[in-house]
Amino acid sequence: MKTKMKTAALAALGAAAAAAIYLSPFGATAQNSMMMMAGVSDQVWDAFGGNQQAQKYSTATQITPENVKDLKRAWSIHTGDVSSGERSTTWGATPLFVNDTVYVGTPWYRIFAVEPDTGKTKWVYAAGGADGPPEGQGLKSRGVAYWAAALPEAGKPCQKMVYVGTQLGELHGVDADTGKKCAGFGNNGVVNVDAWSTKNKKFKLGLIQPPAVYKDTLILGWAGLDWVYKTENPGTVFGIDARTGALKWTFNIIPPDMENVTGTANVWASISVDPETGLAFLPTSSPSPNYYGGDRLKEMPYATATVAVKAETGEVVWSRQLVHHDIWDVDTNSAPTLLDIKKDGQVIPALIQATKMGYHFVLNRNTGEPVWPIEERPYPASDVPGEVAAKTQPYVPYPEPTIPDTTPPVSKFADIVSFGQCSRWKARLRDEGRYTPPSIRGSISWPATLGGVEWGGGAVDPTTNTYVVNSNRVPQIYTLVPRADADKLYGKNARGPGGYSAQEGSAYGFKLENFLNMWGMPCWVPPYGTLHSYDMNTGKQLWTKPFGQVQKWGFYMPESWGSITIGAPVITKSGLIFIGASMDSRVRAIDLKSGEVLWKHIVDAPAVSQPAVYTYKGKQYVVFAVGGNGILTPRLADQLVAFSL
Amino acid sequence: MTQPHSTRGAWLIVLASLITIAICVYDYYTPETGLIGSGGLIFVAGAAVLMLLASLAMAKVPNRPAWVQTFLVVSILLDIIGTAVCGYFLESPVIMSAQALALLGWIINVISNATERSVETDEVEDED
Repeated sequence: MKTKMKTAALAALGAAAAAAIYLSPFGATAQNSMMMMAGVSDQVWDAFGGNQQAQKYSTATQITPENVKDLKRAWSIHTGDVSSGERSTTWGATPLFVNDTVYVGTPWYRIFAVEPDTGKTKWVYAAGGADGPPEGQGLKSRGVAYWAAALPEAGKPCQKMVYVGTQLGELHGVDADTGKKCAGFGNNGVVNVDAWSTKNKKFKLGLIQPPAVYKDTLILGWAGLDWVYKTENPGTVFGIDARTGALKWTFNIIPPDMENVTGTANVWASISVDPETGLAFLPTSSPSPNYYGGDRLKEMPYATATVAVKAETGEVVWSRQLVHHDIWDVDTNSAPTLLDIKKDGQVIPALIQATKMGYHFVLNRNTGEPVWPIEERPYPASDVPGEVAAKTQPYVPYPEPTIPDTTPPVSKFADIVSFGQCSRWKARLRDEGRYTPPSIRGSISWPATLGGVEWGGGAVDPTTNTYVVNSNRVPQIYTLVPRADADKLYGKNARGPGGYSAQEGSAYGFKLENFLNMWGMPCWVPPYGTLHSYDMNTGKQLWTKPFGQVQKWGFYMPESWGSITIGAPVITKSGLIFIGASMDSRVRAIDLKSGEVLWKHIVDAPAVSQPAVYTYKGKQYVVFAVGGNGILTPRLADQLVAFSL
Repeated sequence: MTQPHSTRGAWLIVLASLITIAICVYDYYTPETGLIGSGGLIFVAGAAVLMLLASLAMAKVPNRPAWVQTFLVVSILLDIIGTAVCGYFLESPVIMSAQALALLGWIINVISNATERSVETDEVEDED
């Protein structure tokens, strides 16, 4: 009703002017097992995805759908690590709760260790490197990783460690109790991971995403700049000794004979691990340059794929490519969520790989075979000289994708107030739905690089296999600019106005534009962001709703429009979803059964992270890192805020 | 030609304008409001300043030409409606409440003015 009123009012306006000792179905991680044996009752959240299986699930039950309306801010701190402009910060960290401490990494590459019930700072470690990377891609962090020795040596430091990476390619390891560097880790506490990248070096490895942890091995990917150059650092994943920082293994995503014509396809998102089998699941990204593949036509099966490797050796066990010959920059951008599916009387060890295409690849995590059929469907050919788009692409009809197959129609409202700009623009573009190749005249990419599902991925209740995920509905405009024209228009600059990136060394520069009218309004019909719930035993979608609210110049748009959404949900056993991830700087509690918003609270900026849920001294807390992201709004922040009853 | 006009209700509009300006300043600088630094607040604050000036004129200058009275009454009403709509989309109950107060003042003023003009007309007729 309120939404209808708001929609009506808008028309009028226009006319007028992790889990605790959480009991995963696969058994606990080493540190959880130790805590259980020690009889510790506090519920921990010790990895980016709540646990190494990326389930984002808490067994906590104190906060319920009935009492969540009474949730209040327990504490809030500001780290001071926020900046705009050239060195703009993007903070998507999941706070960790383990070792009776909340740990969080900041975009200035500091670790804050704070008391879980008061927010009082215990110690701060500064890794340095916040002066900005030479490539000027801003300062980004998705937090820290935690490791504990299975058999700690009494009286020795660094039996429990916290790791933070920097945009300069350094991985720092510090003692979890004191915040002091661990002298035995790398060179006095620092591993220069960037030094391991020697081929086609165009940038320093950005260690934005904290490593995954399996026993005494850290599994580490990195972020780069795959839209700027044709040939650049080839994607490599590193296995690192958690105690010493020594390199144990590398896994190369780009085939050796392709390294001179492409690069990246790196793993920049989080990685999940099956503690029972010791398999690590790597979500790989697209090769460089992102939007023109004429120089890299040979198949690269590990690019834009999910690859299962042995966590202790890096040996590939299986892989499944999710997009063939990726020329849309639809990187695999979140860790697969692990769960055991009960289907036809059998228990299938499975994973759910959410993607920017809005698909959920549900695979047997031991073999890579699909749980439900995946089709290969034909898609349009490229009309760009030199480019050969893949003839077919995987299509996942089930579970139902989070976005439809065709581009949403033009919004009449946005079109009218822009005097027909939206419809005129769309008529000039190539638009053939999913996998429309980039073109010289301009193509509507649907879905585009903004997704679909973004880098948080989904959450699952492993006791019921109820799965929840937030998803974008955002078409973007992809235009290839022939090199001679690009050089004339933008000179030799790597990046330029209007979303230009050079794709230096290839036959085409590239322009990425948002499909907005002259007033900055989306040219397509809402919703812009949605939240979905699935029963993953059957694959059936239980409900879907617009999620979040657009906020522009302070004005909140109707809830039925939803919001572009970056960040991820978490689920609690009591039947609640906690999520930030909306443009409107609010965090929300949502009823898992119905999808109804039960509670919301304003924070300093959009929380583009996933929250952590923990219980400490008998009290349940939900804590958000609130940092914002320039993709959503210019509003950035440095707030770590906890809520409790 | 100037005529005396009612000042009743004008001070309520002044008060509503001041409340609106105050809440805009507070929201603009307070992160917890969700409106920090937003352009919409500047727009509303600007409208409130105009409303303040108009209502002060209404309160302090009772003798004014009829066209000025008409202009003030119409512009204040449009300002109240526009600001209330903005308050709705800013999800600010304070701004919307202030506009309700302003509207009350506006109604009092319009009715008082009509009543006084009616009495004056009667008096003139009596003198005849």
